[in-house]
Amino acid sequence: MLKSTVDRVAGATPHALAKRVRGLSDRSLAWLFVAPSIVLLLAVNIFPLIWTVRLSFTNFRVNRPNAEVQFIGLKNYLSILSDKDIWLTMQATAHFLIWTIVLQVLIGFSLAYLINKKFRGNDLWTTIIVLPMMLSPAVVGNFWTFLYQPQIGLFNYAVGFLTGADPSSFSMIGDVSLAPWAIIIVDTWMWTPFVMLICLAGLRSIPSSIYEAAECDRASKWRQFWTITIPLVLPFLMLAVLFRGIENFKMFDLVVQLTGGGPGSITELTSINLKREAFEKWRTGYASAYAVILFVTVFGLASIYVKALNKVKQR
Amino acid sequence: MAEVVLENVTKTFAGTVALDNVSLTVPDGSFVVLLGPTGAGKTTTLRMVSGLDTPDRGEVYIDGEPVKGLAPAERNVAMVFQQYSLYPHLTVRQNLEFPLKSPLLKTPREQIDRKVREVAEVLQIAHKLDNKATALSGGEMQRVSIGRALVRDPQIFLMDEPLSSLDAKLRADLRIELKRIQARSGATLLYVTHDQIEAMTMATHVGVLNEGKLVQFGSPRAVYEQPVSVYAATRLGQPRINVLPADIFAGAPLGAASIGLRPEHIQQGAGEDALVKRVEHLGDQTRLHLTFRKHDLITVTDAHTPLRGGETIKIQPLKPLYFDAAGMRLA
Repeated sequence: MLKSTVDRVAGATPHALAKRVRGLSDRSLAWLFVAPSIVLLLAVNIFPLIWTVRLSFTNFRVNRPNAEVQFIGLKNYLSILSDKDIWLTMQATAHFLIWTIVLQVLIGFSLAYLINKKFRGNDLWTTIIVLPMMLSPAVVGNFWTFLYQPQIGLFNYAVGFLTGADPSSFSMIGDVSLAPWAIIIVDTWMWTPFVMLICLAGLRSIPSSIYEAAECDRASKWRQFWTITIPLVLPFLMLAVLFRGIENFKMFDLVVQLTGGGPGSITELTSINLKREAFEKWRTGYASAYAVILFVTVFGLASIYVKALNKVKQR
Repeated sequence: MAEVVLENVTKTFAGTVALDNVSLTVPDGSFVVLLGPTGAGKTTTLRMVSGLDTPDRGEVYIDGEPVKGLAPAERNVAMVFQQYSLYPHLTVRQNLEFPLKSPLLKTPREQIDRKVREVAEVLQIAHKLDNKATALSGGEMQRVSIGRALVRDPQIFLMDEPLSSLDAKLRADLRIELKRIQARSGATLLYVTHDQIEAMTMATHVGVLNEGKLVQFGSPRAVYEQPVSVYAATRLGQPRINVLPADIFAGAPLGAASIGLRPEHIQQGAGEDALVKRVEHLGDQTRLHLTFRKHDLITVTDAHTPLRGGETIKIQPLKPLYFDAAGMRLA
């Protein structure tokens, strides 16, 4: 990829310009231009990645710099993969990931579909709907803890009002069975607008003349929706799922602010768990192995997904 | 298979009058070509009949029934759009199948396949059936767009410049095919074009539109030979009719402001002197660009004429058309 970019840049450089810079061929000039980015990339991305992989085979602890560092082979990996608690955090993450994506896609697409209908003030509605994602996750987490407060929280009050249950009889954050849903609700509240915007872009990219053709071809609204709208919006929708999936796999701030991983460790997602291992228990080597496992997982899932996405786009 | 009637139809788009009180009867089974420059209301007329737009005032009747409030799907019309409007995510075959797969039709599988093959053959796109619609040239897209209308058996075909981006050979082939298909199916066809050969060769009736008004409606021959106005006269004929001040030749009737002479209605060899400016040999005929009393005009002559630029010939009008100051023809 890099080589082809260099070739392209070299090809695009005007000949006269290259002649004027004495002693430099088009090709070396091109390398010169991309060199700073490459150096930066190596320093802040590639090197730390390699270093992490190296550390993952050791018992290194960053809070004991003078202790002897031993290579312990795959021991870190084996103990992580056989740790029941870590599998629980993985399960919690999967639960969080799947439900946030399902809800955000369903609600986000529906909102986009409604907003896309021409009605008065739909621009204003778009702005209002988009507001949550403009807030800081820390702020969102903080004020949802108030909304979830059993005695004075608006959320509990609203649920009580609608179902007739006593608002203070349940705590979204305190109950083991409710806490996983508490974080899903907040993430959905915050990030559905993002999915909606992408879907809206997809819907607006479909020319109305295609629907007119379908009308004349005697396709019902239902058939138009399934055979035209959905297939043409699908690449956009899949892109939204990719973005949300990657974001939520590494979800940290919102959940830490809301539940801190609790009650117990029921909402302790992998990134929170990882942070505990690395910066509370200071097991650097162990945490490195953990990070490598997560990296491989995300990378693997994402590449499979991107392949599927390209297939849909080409169709 | 259906008569189409527009009765005092008026349509306005954001302050612009697209159709102004148009009344038009398209007889059952006829091939009607609508002529007029961009913005004359041709496409709007098609959209009124299809149901994609509804009249502000007036009524549209199909087969004697008022169709106000009926969606396009309920009207059994097939439309070919000027901008093709293919389904971009589908193959050519899927595009052609799309109308047949309407639950309203319940077409059996074999019949769909047969119909698609047949139409693809006629339109010379059989080799492209499995291509994606977006991987086609403009001409191919246009043919798929025609095909999507032809696979069906509608009461009315509506075609908006369906042959405009095809090359001359294909255009000539498809003119004949469209005429044949229309004649065989007996469907009524409304057809918009800028191409006067299409109008003259295919139409049973020609409607001339100007700024949303129907100026003239009649057989191509009637519109060509008996145009109601200068405007209608200039819609048909290639090269265009020569319009000159009426007094340039003797014998103009009272009230005539201009005289219209079709190129073939300028008799050569008698009359008054005209200067030959340019000679264009077209193979089957020769066009002469003349200057006559400071006015330019064009006439046609024998393919093998020895005339050359700079020479002088004598001309006189033959079957002249006279128009008054407002451009209307004097009877």
